[in-house]
Amino acid sequence: MRKTNQVFRKSIGYIVLVLMLLIIIAPFFWMVDTSFKSNLDIGNFPPSFIPHPFTFYHYIRAFSFYNFGIYFRNSVVISIVATIVVLILASLASYAIARLPIRGKAPLMVMLLAISTFPEVAVISPLFLIMKNLNWLNSYQSLIIPYVAFNLPFAIWVMRTYFAGIPKELDEAARVDGAGIMTTLFRVIMPLATPGLFTGGVFTFVACWTEFLFALVFNSSTNYRTISVGIALFSGQFTIPYGTIFAGSTVAVLPIVILVLIFQKWVVAGLTAGAVKG
Amino acid sequence: MKKSSVISAVAVLSSSAMVLSGLTVQSAAAASKHSSAPVTIVWAAGTISGNGLKADLIKHFEKLYPNIKVKIVAEPTNTDTTRAQLISEITGGATTPDVYLGDVIWPGQFGSQHLALPLNKYLPKSFFNQFAPGLVAGASYKGNVYGSPWFQDSGFLYYRKDLLAKYHLAVPKTWQQLQKEAKLLVQKKATKYGFVWEGSSYEGLTCDWMEYLTDAGGQVFNAQGQPVMNSPAALKALTFMRGLITSGVTPKAVTTFTEPQAMNVFNDGQSAFLRNWDYAYTNSQTPGQSKVIGKVGVAPLPTFAGQGSAGYACIGGWDNYINPHSKHIQADLTFIKYMASVPAETILATKASEIPTNYAVQKNPKVRALNPVLSVVSKQHLIARPSQSPNYAKVSTAIYTNINAALAGQISPKTALSQANSQLASAQSSSSL
Amino acid sequence: MRRTHLERKYATAGYLMVSPALLVIALVTLFPIGYSIWMSLNSISSTYNGFQFSFNGLTNYSIVFSNAIFWQALLFTVIYAIVTVAVELVLGLLVALALNQPIKGRGLAIAVMLIPWTLITVISAQMWGYIYNGIYGVLNAILMSLHIIQSPVLWLGDPTLATIAMMIADIWKTTPFVTMILLAGLQLIPSDLYEAARIDGATGWRSFWSVTLPLLRPSIGLAALFRILQAFGLFDLPFVLTNGGPGTSTEPIAMLAYKAIFSDGNYGPGTAVAVATVGIVIILALVSLKALRTQVGEIE
Repeated sequence: MRKTNQVFRKSIGYIVLVLMLLIIIAPFFWMVDTSFKSNLDIGNFPPSFIPHPFTFYHYIRAFSFYNFGIYFRNSVVISIVATIVVLILASLASYAIARLPIRGKAPLMVMLLAISTFPEVAVISPLFLIMKNLNWLNSYQSLIIPYVAFNLPFAIWVMRTYFAGIPKELDEAARVDGAGIMTTLFRVIMPLATPGLFTGGVFTFVACWTEFLFALVFNSSTNYRTISVGIALFSGQFTIPYGTIFAGSTVAVLPIVILVLIFQKWVVAGLTAGAVKG
Repeated sequence: MKKSSVISAVAVLSSSAMVLSGLTVQSAAAASKHSSAPVTIVWAAGTISGNGLKADLIKHFEKLYPNIKVKIVAEPTNTDTTRAQLISEITGGATTPDVYLGDVIWPGQFGSQHLALPLNKYLPKSFFNQFAPGLVAGASYKGNVYGSPWFQDSGFLYYRKDLLAKYHLAVPKTWQQLQKEAKLLVQKKATKYGFVWEGSSYEGLTCDWMEYLTDAGGQVFNAQGQPVMNSPAALKALTFMRGLITSGVTPKAVTTFTEPQAMNVFNDGQSAFLRNWDYAYTNSQTPGQSKVIGKVGVAPLPTFAGQGSAGYACIGGWDNYINPHSKHIQADLTFIKYMASVPAETILATKASEIPTNYAVQKNPKVRALNPVLSVVSKQHLIARPSQSPNYAKVSTAIYTNINAALAGQISPKTALSQANSQLASAQSSSSL
Repeated sequence: MRRTHLERKYATAGYLMVSPALLVIALVTLFPIGYSIWMSLNSISSTYNGFQFSFNGLTNYSIVFSNAIFWQALLFTVIYAIVTVAVELVLGLLVALALNQPIKGRGLAIAVMLIPWTLITVISAQMWGYIYNGIYGVLNAILMSLHIIQSPVLWLGDPTLATIAMMIADIWKTTPFVTMILLAGLQLIPSDLYEAARIDGATGWRSFWSVTLPLLRPSIGLAALFRILQAFGLFDLPFVLTNGGPGTSTEPIAMLAYKAIFSDGNYGPGTAVAVATVGIVIILALVSLKALRTQVGEIE
């Protein structure tokens, strides 16, 4: 009786799983499929499922005509730099919160959580004016700095969890050996907290890579535009070049999917940490 | 063969133009030769007329003015986003772009918010006299001229020559006739749809609406600036538009159509008639994206029966504006003058088949012969959108949201017009959201 | 108890280590929010020499609160948040329960579920825009070939349909993320609790209601909080998918603020909308945090 129940539950599990995978993958398939179709083919109804003729035209056009290479470069630079800065600042802060005798830790953590949920639109007009006065509109720092600030709270939150899980005796031992705080942190503790770095890093990178509103408002010129804004603005007044949009999108999706699949374990760990500490 | 004739036309016209355009261009050239270091100005221009054209113009310009280099920033964006970006950049004090291409409906907002240089304070009257009638007024706000008209655009009726011939139908002169013919073609299964246009809830619908409204004898604002869209004429226009959909002449999907969707349906051979802008002719004749090559004719838009020879066409098009923060105002002015000059406008008209704003070029029979759309221009009646207001964006929103709702059948035409009218009143107040 | 010299030294180091992070956060979030509040109390006009501020008290707020468009955008945002979050939680829980069993392909499923999370929202908006297209969209093709509909439906042409279409695009992208949080929570429930429940005679539904759901409440609460707050920042999806249309029927509050500020140059009222949004978000966050804390307390 119990066995049949389990078989029943398992088969339901499989059905749910297969359905879910199909639903997730189908739109992606359609996007990649369309990116290889000719313009005439794209406007057909009912649509054809196999591109005919099969063409790389849109990929070439995305890079040659629509500056997609520049957008790609900007997204890579901004996301990587912001992620590195976040990891450095978050390591320092979260180690201090986890280990050092500072006051007001609890309100600090609550404040961080609250800040991480602020809608971007709340700060956009003052930030815009500040950037304007600093002559920072259309630059890398105009996005890196806000991205760092908006992603720090979560990174600190996650990394503190990891630091808290490392036995305090290790700090004590390092201290007895005469190591200072920085040496202890970077030589002894950090190597053990690399999973925390991965988690914080992947979450920050994904957030920077996908961000739209700041990028739209602060970096409007082609030379500093990021992928998300570039793809949103492919459409012209008289054209919606779906083929090119999806060619660019396919190129934009690939690296991050690979990255996340490599770091899959730590992404899941990050979500667990969120759940435990929430 | 056609190509070489275009080139020779350009050659003939530009050589004569160099003489015609006379003192201003020449003296500016001389002046720029005296200045020491070459300057580079940035021109932000949408991809509206293809990149090759702009490169050619710049090449020609740089040859005439070796001390000014022009860097082009192509911004392949929709008009609203371009506007938001330019507003962000210029209110942000950005010194570039120095010159930007902007919609004809911008002078109200850009003038009132000081986002564009008042050109009349820098350029002589003779400069403004070279444009086709009505264009300078459209580029002005409160007595200042902010835009230098670059190319004109307006609504046209495109039709399937082959189908009209096959069923012995005349090119429609009235809306009623168009509806009848389109209905017939759909019934005979000659095409899937009769007539497609731009009915989505966006600026383009305001343009289409202005055409029907004016044909019916209605107005948005009266001479005193009060909203008067709740009129019998407006009701006639809107009821007719809704009737196009309910009678099956126009697909229901039209309420989500912007230019690309309408164009796509027409290019796919699925509609007998299309209301669209100037670009549609070239677009429908481009291999690889059209199935109706060689089958398309163009005419002025129809009007309502008993309202004259041709319908009203909404004015669109783009002007060159100067960023008031630019560090090279003199070079910018030289560039703007060149762009409005006969040679530049001739290149524009011949190479990109845009409608030139320079009246001499527009009337030139050689230019007209090159593009069937251009020969229709002189037969049109033009109507401008009520854009002489810093709050035009809200005025237009009040129009297109309500017209769209009525077209979709969500509210009755009567309700739509009275709602629109009250929203127009509040849109005019500067303190609205 | 007095602090030792060493402790004080460590405390100083601690403050030094925390301060760079806090400084950046304060500069980019707290200070601008203060500045936003100030801007929202001013009439701001753009001149050739930059912006001119003149204090006008609560005028901007009265403009905002007396405008039907604001209330429409707020109502849309609230409904959108409630519906999407509720659906995502139900679907997410269902999938999480399915995955919380020793079945094959679990690793693969988790990997695939991460993909929508990494997707740039703008890309998913373009993708869905093409799928929903009223003339050549594949959704109409599929539904017509299944004879569910007779003629193409304009998914984005009607306020209700457009709202639902947008919700579906959002649910598609975000449910996997919710699922992961819930799955993580499920795995934290000790299996001996189920064992105990079974001995008490509770199986299937009853053990779900008496064990799983109560113990999962913190995870559910967390996912709900995150998603509701995210929904208040909703911007990318409508920007590309509907541009707020038809009319302004799918215009969320963040888009209203963006348009007022950046398209119309209406800095005062636009910032007032943004500040009002923050106010709502803070109240929501405080309420939820309080609820969450008691729930966490229950476990411990």
